[in-house]
Amino acid sequence: DRSGYISAKELKQALMNSNNSSFNDETCMMMLRRVDVFGFSALWTFLQQWRAVFQQFDRDRSGSINSNEMHQALSQMGYNLSPQFIQELVNRYSARGVNRVLQLDRFIQVCTQLQSMTQAFREKDTAMTGNVRMSYEDFLSV
Amino acid sequence: MAYHNQYRPPHYNSAPPDQGFLWNIFQRVDKDRSGAISDTELQQALSNGTWTPFNPVTVRSIISMFDRENKGGVNFNEFAGVWKYISDWQNIFRTYDKDNSGFIDKNELKQALTGFGEFVIIVIFYDSQNHRQCCLFLFFNPLLTDVFRRYDTDQDGWIQVSYEQYLSMVFNVV
Repeated sequence: DRSGYISAKELKQALMNSNNSSFNDETCMMMLRRVDVFGFSALWTFLQQWRAVFQQFDRDRSGSINSNEMHQALSQMGYNLSPQFIQELVNRYSARGVNRVLQLDRFIQVCTQLQSMTQAFREKDTAMTGNVRMSYEDFLSV
Repeated sequence: MAYHNQYRPPHYNSAPPDQGFLWNIFQRVDKDRSGAISDTELQQALSNGTWTPFNPVTVRSIISMFDRENKGGVNFNEFAGVWKYISDWQNIFRTYDKDNSGFIDKNELKQALTGFGEFVIIVIFYDSQNHRQCCLFLFFNPLLTDVFRRYDTDQDGWIQVSYEQYLSMVFNVV
């Protein structure tokens, strides 16, 4: 609308998954926050980088990432997660009414959330034991 | 967000505010004079004490708690409900602010949280004379409490979790 600002709605209209569905609200909001901080061109670079990763792991070129492909992607990114956990993750985040697969928007959403949660976990697990002890207060502040 | 309605704070019988006073505030917040306060309008009216805007998810929760017609905003009557809700909590705040400092410090907060299990946000309203009316808004997130309690088998407020368990917990609430 040439207001000089990009609203969530406008961003949503501009971003599309390969199956022509628009990006989900959470991913749009997350990206909008990045625009505030890094500016629009950085956002676009961010998006292109994630798109490249997505395409790299969408081995069967289906336009979406299934649980297996997700496992490979996350392993490559350095995550050591059980296949069951990844299956649950993909199930949880896949769009309703679709096979248990992730489109680009939800792939980005899951990966970025995984990044920040892992960061939070690492800050608490200073001894690198893979276990943390936390209070209710700690949990709330996540 | 229907579950919020089950968790109203105990009534602290805060005196109903002067209708004129409330109407004044309502009009100031309802910038486009639509007769209802939208998420955006409420967000603009609320300050969390920093330059960042008030969290839109929180704003959505507040509105949805009182928006009976699912119209995406609150009319004057519903706004009166918002106000009373916050005033009730303000009274609770005062009971926990034992040293009457106007702030709840870490210890006081810990007691308050253990008691109710809510997520705490400070809400600042500005009255017609632009004086800060500071109040504590307790935003219920029973989901957070439930998820935590599932792992806290001895109910001592502490849990020990592995990396994947931790991820599961957090993914359950985002």
